[in-house]
Amino acid sequence: MSTTTLFEEPGPRARRRNRALEVASWLIAAGAAYLVIRTLNKSGAFDAAAWQPFAQWGVWKQLGLGLLNNLRAAVVGMLLSMFFGCFLGWGLLSKRKIVRNPCRVFTDIFNGVPILLLLFFISLVLPSWGLPLSDFWFLVIALSLYSSAVVGDLVRAGVLALPRGESEAAAALGFSEIQSMWLILLPQALRLMSPALVSQMVIVFKGTTLAFVLGGYFDLLRSATVLGAYYSRSLLQAQVIAAIAFMLINIVLSQIASAIDRKEKQRYGAQPVALDELDTNRAATLLAR
Amino acid sequence: MSFLLPHLGEFAWGIAFTIGLVVLGWLGAMILGSVLAIMRVSPIRAARIAAAAYILVFRNIPIPVQMVLFVFGFPLLGIVFPLFPSAVIVLIAYHASFVCETLRSGLNTVAAGELEAIRTLGFTPFGTMRHLVLPQAFAAVVQPMGNVLILLVKNTSVAAIVGVAELTFTADKVAIEEVQAFIVLGGAALAYVVICIVLKRFVSLLERRVAFSK
Repeated sequence: MSTTTLFEEPGPRARRRNRALEVASWLIAAGAAYLVIRTLNKSGAFDAAAWQPFAQWGVWKQLGLGLLNNLRAAVVGMLLSMFFGCFLGWGLLSKRKIVRNPCRVFTDIFNGVPILLLLFFISLVLPSWGLPLSDFWFLVIALSLYSSAVVGDLVRAGVLALPRGESEAAAALGFSEIQSMWLILLPQALRLMSPALVSQMVIVFKGTTLAFVLGGYFDLLRSATVLGAYYSRSLLQAQVIAAIAFMLINIVLSQIASAIDRKEKQRYGAQPVALDELDTNRAATLLAR
Repeated sequence: MSFLLPHLGEFAWGIAFTIGLVVLGWLGAMILGSVLAIMRVSPIRAARIAAAAYILVFRNIPIPVQMVLFVFGFPLLGIVFPLFPSAVIVLIAYHASFVCETLRSGLNTVAAGELEAIRTLGFTPFGTMRHLVLPQAFAAVVQPMGNVLILLVKNTSVAAIVGVAELTFTADKVAIEEVQAFIVLGGAALAYVVICIVLKRFVSLLERRVAFSK
């Protein structure tokens, strides 16, 4: 706990009071846990019949395939958005207005539109334009449109955070603008932004669950719900397992992000790197100043 | 554009539902998030652990999963709410964890030396909070809070998954009925973009004002 400086080292009276409060809050927590378990038990959530289907290998296989589908969409979406995000960040840094302004409009639009609306839009509009892609690609396109806008802003912020001397030295050594960006600025910026990119991966991974509305792509949430349709007693169990799986993967990814963050900080001293869904935006605005 | 006329009422309701979700969700998330933040920095270990566990769980489960679980799964336990309130509850549960983390990062901006100084001056814990910690924490937190608000606006669309007739849901329905996906959904997207840009402007205005008071 890093915020213990907010209160003083307690004296004897405060310590007694704190101990009483501590006991009281443990009692409240225990009571709440008891209530939850009683509700679960009363509606038969712990019954053997409800957990019966999970004794079958096929059920776990279906759930696992669902999770794999989530991961596949997230990885493809993330790779695509990193690819396009680099170009977008480059465009955002351009000195020419005719390049910069369209890029700004693109990031503003796709930062502001909910991914679900984007998904509806793409899955209805692309087929009407004669592009009947699979639901997987609808999902990936929606996610990467949104995510490349974010990555574009991050790349821009990352390049701006580099010392000016980097690009000046590159120019002095006779590198062209493209070479200096590609060989010198971009690799360093990506490194600086790597924790933020992993956090962006978490956001994209969370976004893949929106495939629930498509119906043609069996992500984990959909698999769990379909399972519940077959074994009507196990719907809740399947969905809770899905939720826990998502939670664990997100926790692992966040841990990786903060581990990279710590390592980079050790190497370079305190660097302005963003760490989560909100901080990506904040860091971008902070660095842009 | 005449095909839109019979749907104007639906769109008005859709926008009203979206605004309702945003307002109620924001109020609830602020309240719950503040309580969690207080628990998170309190000297009582049980409260700290409970708040940390809440954040770990609710922040890492994607909001569509929470929405589906609450609306389709929980009725099996006898926990049934009407659609709109359940969407509000899920939005609050998810965003409260972000509000809490943001507030906590604001509390952390207060330097330890200042706290020691104010204690030496004989301020009570409440006075310390009131005159030193909270003013600085709120000032530091305006911009990130604005980002949470924008996140909330965008996440209200997730309520469409379970059938709350808010803007995204209405737009999708009308787009399918009238086979005019590009115009209808594009218009709805524009509405969200405008809301987000207006909110961003407002937040940076507020932040500038707060920055002067610092």
